[in-house]
Amino acid sequence: MDRADIAKTLKSPANWGQKYSLWAVYFCTGCGVIEIPPVITSRWDAERFGVLPMATPRQGNLFLITGYVSLKTMGAIIRTYDQMPDPKYVVGFGSCPVNGGMYWDSYNTIKHLDKYLPVDGWIAGCMPRPEAIFVAVVHLWQMIDKGMATGYQKYKENYEYYERNQREILPHLPKFSGERTEVVGQTL
Amino acid sequence: MVQQVISMIVLPVIALVIAVFFLGLSRKITARIHRRHGPPLYQPLIDVVKLLTQKENISHGTIFDLGIVLSVAGGLATILFIPAGGLHPLSSSGDFLVVLYLMLLSPLGLALAAGASENPNASIGVSRKFILALGYEVPFLLAALAVMVHFRTTSLVEIVSLQRESLLNWSVFTLPLPALATFLVLPAMLSIRPFDFAGAPQEVASGPLVELGGKYLAFAAIQGALHTYIVLAIFVDLYLGGGANILTFFLKMLAVFFIGVCINGVMPRFRVKQALIYLWKWPAIIAFAGLVIVMWTSR
Repeated sequence: MDRADIAKTLKSPANWGQKYSLWAVYFCTGCGVIEIPPVITSRWDAERFGVLPMATPRQGNLFLITGYVSLKTMGAIIRTYDQMPDPKYVVGFGSCPVNGGMYWDSYNTIKHLDKYLPVDGWIAGCMPRPEAIFVAVVHLWQMIDKGMATGYQKYKENYEYYERNQREILPHLPKFSGERTEVVGQTL
Repeated sequence: MVQQVISMIVLPVIALVIAVFFLGLSRKITARIHRRHGPPLYQPLIDVVKLLTQKENISHGTIFDLGIVLSVAGGLATILFIPAGGLHPLSSSGDFLVVLYLMLLSPLGLALAAGASENPNASIGVSRKFILALGYEVPFLLAALAVMVHFRTTSLVEIVSLQRESLLNWSVFTLPLPALATFLVLPAMLSIRPFDFAGAPQEVASGPLVELGGKYLAFAAIQGALHTYIVLAIFVDLYLGGGANILTFFLKMLAVFFIGVCINGVMPRFRVKQALIYLWKWPAIIAFAGLVIVMWTSR
């Protein structure tokens, strides 16, 4: 630990914990997840940053959206995000979650992830190198220090906006069940 | 009396410090075996602080809350009965039997919490955990019986004091077969590889812990660390002569734990069936042979 960190730690142990113990949810959305195994194993060793993969959303607080997001995975992503306990951070990984990437004109790929979930940061590139994840983690530390990584609060404050957008594309989600509309004819 | 009360307060604190230190050390050693740098030694402390200060804690009912409390309380109660160095606050004539019963309390609490969470992965994890317990209890209890017959006592303090005179009085030399059998089931009792299928993240999404988050997971982590301490302390007390003071006791535990972590670092994971076959074959046979020899010689 840096000597400069000690005063900060004593001021807010919670921030210290949130910063240096980011547990990532083990959820593969797209091809970007191929960069995760080298990150968490011997070559790049994410554990020295306190980043560990966790098997369930209940235990995680960092959600990496790795790769393109189709309509079908969007439902699973929303469910996973809703199950994670606060505070939680979402990072879009790769150019596909940013703006659709190479699927920019696909009919069933999400182009603007932050219309449906609050995203705290983006990692651009196709593919980003594993080092980019560490750059993102260090950037997230700075945001937590400054109190800027507040996506989970924005989600609660603007839930109507997010819910409206989610319902528009995924009316059949379990959390909207009982209110099935005829927007989507076929089951996804 | 005052000394007893003080040691009742001090011993759980010491146990907690040792247990959390072991948790950090195991991650560091495993990282070095993998040729990684590894997290800092105090990383488990950061994790527990994070989990305890999490803003949202999702509960699944009263049994879920109380099960976790029961598991931590069971761990702390067990620690008070195990002599650690010179500290033995609640020791009495039959305390080894009490420890054997109390050791089941914390897995039971965790199982209750996992059952209340109504997650199929948790149920699978709990059933695997109990199958594993079924496997290691047989050789462990046979070996423990051999120790009790050899020393003609069921008191852990007496077992420790009878071994204290010289190095050759340690049960690992006087009772080599039960010591070997207990050592062979030690990874199963600690739930480390190759016996970590109960909480396997890749198969059953960390098993009984699947619905635990926030402070629940923090208490489960503390319970896991205390369980490691309990198993190592019992092994050191039974076979390695306990400790004259808390420092020698700690060093003996550290030596056993280091071997365990090395096994954990290089082994793959058994299937449930393979584990049961292993546990009921070699450790059980060795423990039984040791018991027969002890019965024969102490007649």
